[in-house]
Parts: sequence; C-alpha cells; structure tokens
Amino acid sequence: MRALVLAALAASLCSVASGSASAEEAFVTNQLSDDLMVVDLATARIVATIPIGGKPAGIAVSADGRFAYVTSPDAKAVTVVDAAARHVVGRVEVGGGPLGIAIAPDGRTVYVADWYAAAVRVIDAASRSVTASIAVGASPSGLVVTPDGKLLLSADRDDDSVSVVDTTTRQRKAIIKVGTRPFGVTIDAEGKRAYTANVGSNDVSVIDLGAGSEIARVPVGMRPYAVALTQGRGFVTDQYGGTVSVFDLATLKPVKRINVGDYPEGIAATADGKRVIVACWESNTLSIIDATGLKVIGEVKTGDGPRAFGAFLRKTE
Amino acid sequence: MKVTIGKSIAGVAALALIGTVALTQAWAHGPTRQKVRESIEINAPQAKVWAAIGNFQDMSWLPPVTKTEGAKGNEIGATRTLTLTGGATVEEELYKYEPDMLSYSYRITKVDVKVLPVTNYSSTLTVSPAPDGKAKLEWAGAFYRGFPNNDPPPELNDEAAVKAVSGLYKAGLEALKKKIESGS
Repeated sequence: MRALVLAALAASLCSVASGSASAEEAFVTNQLSDDLMVVDLATARIVATIPIGGKPAGIAVSADGRFAYVTSPDAKAVTVVDAAARHVVGRVEVGGGPLGIAIAPDGRTVYVADWYAAAVRVIDAASRSVTASIAVGASPSGLVVTPDGKLLLSADRDDDSVSVVDTTTRQRKAIIKVGTRPFGVTIDAEGKRAYTANVGSNDVSVIDLGAGSEIARVPVGMRPYAVALTQGRGFVTDQYGGTVSVFDLATLKPVKRINVGDYPEGIAATADGKRVIVACWESNTLSIIDATGLKVIGEVKTGDGPRAFGAFLRKTE
Repeated sequence: MKVTIGKSIAGVAALALIGTVALTQAWAHGPTRQKVRESIEINAPQAKVWAAIGNFQDMSWLPPVTKTEGAKGNEIGATRTLTLTGGATVEEELYKYEPDMLSYSYRITKVDVKVLPVTNYSSTLTVSPAPDGKAKLEWAGAFYRGFPNNDPPPELNDEAAVKAVSGLYKAGLEALKKKIESGS
C-alpha cells in the first residue's frame, strides 16, 4: 500500500517535471561577447557562461545531451563543450569559415559547413578530428541530418539550392532548387519535409524529401534566418522585420506575425512542443513564445549578439 | 591628427573616384555581424527632431551628404541616392517607417567599400523622450565588414567597419544637434 502511494507520488512528480519546461536548457552563442551561455528554460535564468572565443555562431547539442559543439568562424575551429559540466573539453581545427553545424542522430559524426568553401567538413566525434570533406554548393550555411541519419541537407546560400548528401557514401546525391539565399534549414520529425529560410526572397521553401523537390513557398517577413516546427506550425525568424512569422504546416498559409526583439535569428521549439525560443541578435535577448497562444510570454537577457544558429536546446533528462 | 569622419569619408570618396572602383558583392559577407548604437540628447521637443530627420528623401543633416535624390517618399520600399562630398554615391532603401514610434529603418543597397567599409548594412533612427523635455535621438546600425571573404585586410575588417560607422553616427548626431539647437 505504501509502495503504491509512493509510486503514485513519483509518477505525479514525474508528470509535473515533464509537463513543464524544467528539463530543458538553451545553449546560446553570444557572438560579440565571444561566449556560450546556458539558460535554464524553466526558471529563465542564466546558469552558466562559458568562454569560447573566435566569434561563436553555430551550435549543435547532441541528442543525448552530453555535448555541445560550437563553431567559431574567426578561430576556424569547433569547440566541444561538456554540456552538463559546462566546460570546454576539446577543440577541433577545421580551417576555413566554420558556421552551420549538425550532429548525426547517433552522435558519432559532426558536420560543419565551411562558409567560404563549397564544402562540409566531417568530424569524427570520438577522435575529435576531421576525417572527410563533402563537396556541396557555394556558401553552405544551415545543415541538418534526417532523423534516420541517412541524409544530410546543406542550405547552399549562394547557389539558391539545397544539397542532399548520402551520409554513408558522403556524396551529394541531389541538388534541390529553392528560393533566393537559403540560410537555415529544418527537417520535420518524420523526415518527410524540409524547410529553408530564404534571406533573399523573403520566403520559406517547403521541400518534399521523398520527391526531392520544392513543393511550395510561403511568404514571411524580411530577411528570414531560420525555421522551427511545432504544433502543426512553422515559426520563422525575420531579421529585419523584428518578427516571427507563423505559418500552417498543412495549408502552408501564413497565420500571424509575432513581434519579438530586434534581429531575431536562431529559433527552436522545446521538446514538449509548447514553446518556441528565439535569439534576438540586436536586442540581446531570448524571446520565449507560447507556441499555441502565439504570443511572447517571457524574455531573458543574453550576452552581446546572440545567434544560436542550429539545434541549441538541450534536454537534461 | 584627429579628423572627423565626415572629412575622412569625403577624402576616401575622392580617392575612390581616382582609383579603381570595386563594388561590393550584394550578398556575400563575413561571418560576424557588427552593431553600433550611438545616441545624443537634443534640447528640443521630440516633434522638432523628428521633423528634421523624418523625411527619408532629405539626409542633408548628415555632414558628407551634398544631395539626396529618391523616389516614393516615405513609403516602404522608397529609395534614395545620397551624393557625398567628392562625388561618391550611396544607394539606400526604406524598409520600416513608423511615424507613431518616431522611428524608421533603411538599408544600403549599393555602396563602394572604399566609401564606407561595410556590406549588408541596415540602420534605424529613433527619437524618444529625454529628461527636462529634451529629445533623445538614437542611431543603431547592423552590418558586416567590407571584406566578404576570409582573412580580411585591416582596412576592411570588423574593427574598421565598426570604427567607420561609429564615427559617422557620432558626427551625424552632433551636426544635427547643433543644427536644431542653433535654430537653423
């Protein structure tokens, strides 16, 4: 009887914990203050600031939450951070201009886009060294791996296209034309569709990965940067607009524009799908959006020039 | 030794006319966007300050600007070409205009990096209240360095871009303050 009560109590505690955002953190690259800031999303408090250097921009937290990989274009390096211990454990010299970054779902391989070369560098996570290079289009920006780990997508900004790379052969197998100057690229949880934020044409390209082609374009605000997906909607940061454009993922029609801080850039949905976190580069804030109510419900001060370009949220449990 | 940015810009612009004119690529840029935010208190009502800067087709308040020519007034998408002392030009486009907020934002669509060592430049002017009935005018800019590729030369690196824009803003704000407060 007592055991049952305890179990019930534990279960209710558990559901409280998972029902809130308490088990999640934001790892924010503050490019102009040269550090990585960790924000506990439940309390909206900064819990750590880790010096990085080299003007950190891109970020990818591994699916198991153990590591955060940070690109520093000025240092031509990727910094490996032990996410729980909050300290730097390694640094990989990649050369060029590392910007976009993504991790394979199994955490064994890290992909880094070289902004100045038409190439993606492949880092072996275990040895923390560059083991291969993949030819893609000009100025690769955002990177993302499909949930099954089979495909890597690279938003090739100056070619107005997305490269589809077979992660086994490390060869580009397709080029999908999209809008003008795609920057961030996001794939849905089913691995069926991808979305690029097109800085030059002020829209989002919707890609059907099965068909290997762009199927629609959704108009958004000025100079879109990246896309997050949750609650059946796409959320897009409009840098010049100072807004997050929301569109319906089924009808692909615009729903609303939400005013956030100035120059919103990195954007991600929390694991419970209830909130969208936005890094606002100019105003030095994180805006927290209620993903159902479509309004800003919180703000956190950051360091200078937060970009958080990539998968910057970390589940702690 | 110290020269104002207005003079130095005009000087550089004159040099650019003699030398080869390398236009910046419209889209390529460095990896780190820079920001500059300058402000000044002006002893005048907000409305008077707004009246002096609120017309996108008139940037005569900025020292090196000798002529403003443009189209579409203060509509979103309005354009203007600024001619600077020495003859260099800067092309700009208005993308946000909020008279209720006493604020507007525009971007540079074309400039020689020898005139202003930046790319992908956007900026916002905002008038707000200050103590004792004064007005505060703020000028905020976001831009990348003049050199779009890796390993920039010193005259086109991040620091050079910030220095040039910061100097331009300070000179512009001071000139405007003087103009308004002297009643001219």
